[in-house]
Amino acid sequence: MPIHQENPEAPAPSGASSLERGAPRLRLRLTPYKSLTPEGFVWFIGLTAALISVPLLSILGTSVFWALLPFIVAAVWAIWAALKRSWRDTDLFEEVSLWDDLIRVERHEPRRSAPLDWEANPYWVRVALHSKGGPVPNYLTLSGGGREVELGAFLTPVERVELKDWLERELRQSPA
Amino acid sequence: MADATLSGHDHERPGFFTRWFMSTNHKDIGILYLFTAGLVGLISVAFTVYMRLELMEPGVQYMYLAFESSPAALESLFGRVSEALATAGGGTNAFADQLSSLQATLMGAVSGTGDDARLVVDGALRADVIQTLDTMAASANPGEASALLGLKDQLDGQPDGHLWNVLITGHGVLMMFFVVIPALFGGFGNYFMPLMIGAPDMAFPRLNNLSYWLYVAGTALAFCAVFIDGGAGPGWTFYPPLSWQDAPTSRAVDFAIFAVHVSGASSILGSINIITTFLNMRAPGMTLHKVPLFAWSVFVTAWLLLLSLPVLAGAITMLLTDRNFGTTFFDVAGGGDPVLFQHIFWFFGHPEVYIVILPAFGVISHIVATFSKKPIFGYLPMVYALVAIGGLGFVVWAHHMYTVGMSLTQQAYFMVATMVIAVPTGVKIFSWIATMWQGSISFKTPMLFAIGFIFLFTLGGVTGIILSQAAVDRAYHDTYYVVAHFHYVMSLGAVFGIFAAVYYWFAKMSGRQYPEWAGQLHFWTFFIGANLTFFPQHFLGRQGMPRRYIDYPDAFALWNYVSSIGAFISFASFLFFIGVVFYALRYGRKVEEKAYWGEHADTLEWTLPNPPPEHTFEELPTREMWDKQPRH
Repeated sequence: MPIHQENPEAPAPSGASSLERGAPRLRLRLTPYKSLTPEGFVWFIGLTAALISVPLLSILGTSVFWALLPFIVAAVWAIWAALKRSWRDTDLFEEVSLWDDLIRVERHEPRRSAPLDWEANPYWVRVALHSKGGPVPNYLTLSGGGREVELGAFLTPVERVELKDWLERELRQSPA
Repeated sequence: MADATLSGHDHERPGFFTRWFMSTNHKDIGILYLFTAGLVGLISVAFTVYMRLELMEPGVQYMYLAFESSPAALESLFGRVSEALATAGGGTNAFADQLSSLQATLMGAVSGTGDDARLVVDGALRADVIQTLDTMAASANPGEASALLGLKDQLDGQPDGHLWNVLITGHGVLMMFFVVIPALFGGFGNYFMPLMIGAPDMAFPRLNNLSYWLYVAGTALAFCAVFIDGGAGPGWTFYPPLSWQDAPTSRAVDFAIFAVHVSGASSILGSINIITTFLNMRAPGMTLHKVPLFAWSVFVTAWLLLLSLPVLAGAITMLLTDRNFGTTFFDVAGGGDPVLFQHIFWFFGHPEVYIVILPAFGVISHIVATFSKKPIFGYLPMVYALVAIGGLGFVVWAHHMYTVGMSLTQQAYFMVATMVIAVPTGVKIFSWIATMWQGSISFKTPMLFAIGFIFLFTLGGVTGIILSQAAVDRAYHDTYYVVAHFHYVMSLGAVFGIFAAVYYWFAKMSGRQYPEWAGQLHFWTFFIGANLTFFPQHFLGRQGMPRRYIDYPDAFALWNYVSSIGAFISFASFLFFIGVVFYALRYGRKVEEKAYWGEHADTLEWTLPNPPPEHTFEELPTREMWDKQPRH
C-alpha cells in the first residue's frame, strides 16, 4: 500500500526543529502507486532486446548489419529511458512525522533538491476531508501554523479517508 | 509543503487553436488522429476507384499517354495505311470511305495553325477512334485487320504504366502507414487505452502531440511522393532495384522514403508512450491479467511497432544512401545483395500486418461481449493469443519471399512457423464464437460489423494458410490470389474493425448517436461491395492474372468487371458513411446514459459521461468500477 508506517528509530527527517526532539511518535510515508515493478522492467527490456535482435541473424557478416545496429540500439535505449523517466516522474513522496508538540510534513519531489515542508503544533491542527470542491475527490488538507496544506493528493480517495482517520486518532492522543 | 488548492476544479477552457493545435490531451489527440486518418483514407480509396475504372475492361481506357502528331505526319500515316489496305485487299482498298471519314474527323480536331498545328487523340475522340477501327477490323480479312489494328495501336497512345505504379505505391503506403495504424492505434488507442486502465492521461502528453504532428508531416511527404517528379512507383515494399527509379533525376522515391521515416518516427514515439502508460500507469489492483482486451491489444501493437519500425528505418536509410550517396548495401554491382533488403523489409513487414489487425481484435472482443450480453469467453487465452500472435509474427517473415531462392530447410521452417499462427488465431475466433454461443445477441451496427469482421477475417486467414505452403506459393506468388488474401484480412478485416469501433464508441466520443438505420445501411452496402470487389479476385488469381499490371487479356474480363462494380459500391458506402458521421455530429440524438450499450459494456470508459470531460480519472478509479468479472 502507498501508506507506510516507518520505524520511528530510522534517521530523523531533516529540519532543525526535529533534531532536538529525538524519535517521532509516528512517521508515515505516502507514495503514489506505480504499476511497473523492477522485475517487470527487466522482463520487458530483456524480451524486447531479444526479439529485436532476430533480424540481425539474417544479415550477420554483411555491411548491412552495421548499418542496422544503431537503429536497434537506439530503439532499446529509447524505451529504457522512457520507462525510467516515467518512474522518476512518480518518484515523489510525502512524509508525516508527529511528536508530542510538533507535526511536520515534508514533500520530496524529483528534480527539486530541497523538500517542501510545513510545521505546526499538533494541538491546533485541524484535519479536513473535502469530498467535493477540491482538485480530487476526498481532498485532504491540514490547517495550522498559519497555512492550509494538502496531503496525499496522489493517493486513491479511499486511502485518503483511511489516512484521515489514522491522523485524527494520533492527534487526539494526549501527550505522554 | 504544497498549499491546499481548494478553489479550483474549473480550469480555463482552452481556445480552439490551443485545444486542437497544441493539444496534450489524449482524447483530443485521438480525435485528431481519427479525422486525419479518415481524410487520408478517402484520398487513398479514391486512387483505387481510378484503378478499378481502368481495370474494369481489357485495354487501357484512362491511364495512357495520348497520341500526338502534326497534320502532315497524320496524313502520311493514313497514306501508308491506305497502301497496306490496298495490298491486303488484292488491289482495292475496301475501307477507303471509312478511312477518309476517320481522317477528316481527326483533322477536325487539330488545334492551332501553321507550324503550331497539333493533333492530340484523347478522351471521347480516342474512344471513338478505337471503336471505329474495331468495327472496321471485325469485317476485314486478316491482312486488312492487321493494318487497321496497327493504326489503332498508333492512335490510342501508350499505356502509362508508371502512373499505375505510382497509384499502387501511393495506395499501399498511405493505407499501411497513414490510414489504418493512425486510425486504430493512434486514434482509438490514444483515446481509450488510458481510459480503460484508469490512467489520467498518457505518460508523456507532449510527446503524444509530437507523434501526431510528425504523422501529419509524414502524410504531406507521402503526397509529395505521389505528385512530385512524376511520382514514386516502386510499390510500398521499396524493393531494390525498383526503388532505384530515376535516382539521378527524380526525387519522388526519396520523398516516399522520408514519408515512411517520419511516420515511423511518429509511430515509435507513440508506441513508447503507450507502452510506458500501459506498464506504469494502470490503476491500483489492475494487474496484467485484469487489463481489458482492447488495452492489451494496443499494448501488444505498440510493442510490435517498437520492435519492427527501427528495422524498417534502418533498411530504408540504406536505400536512401544507396540512391544518393553511392553506397552499395543492396546493389549487386558494388557487392551488395538486394535479397537482404527483402529479408529486413519483411522482418518489419510481417509484424506490420499484425500491427494493423491486432487493435481490431481488441475492439471486436469488447463488441462481441457487449452485444451478446455475456462476458468474453476465455479472457486469459485471449490475452495470451494476442501475445503469441505478436511473438510469432517476428519469426515468419520469409514466407513473403519463397521465390527468391531459399534453401529447402529454410522454406520448410518458415512454412511450419507460419501455419502455427493459425493456432492462437483460432483460439481468438473460437472464443468469439463461444462468447456469442447462447448469448442474447442484438444485431446493432457495431455487432454487424464485428460479425462481418469475424467471417471475413477467417476467410482471409484460410487463404493465408493456403499461401503459406511454399509449393503452392510458386503458383500463387504475385497473382491476384495474394491481392484477394491480404485485402480480406486488411481491407475487410482491419477496416471492418475501424468501422465497428467508430459505431461502438461514437456517442461516447461525441455525445450524439448516429441513426441506427443509416449504420445498418452502411454495413450492408459495404459488406456486399467489399465482397464483390475482392472475392472474384480469388478466381482471377487462380486463372493466373498477375498483380500490378495496368492491362490484362480478354480471358480475365468478366471477374475484373464484377470486381470494379464492387469497388464502386464500396466507395459509395464510404461516402455515405462520411455523410452519416457529419449528420450525427450535428443533428444526432443526444445520449445521456453513460453505459448506453447496456451493462455488458463494462470497461472504465463506460463510467464516464458522453463525451468524457477534459480531465478524467484525476481520482484513481476503484476496483469495483472495473472488476466486473473477478473470477478471471
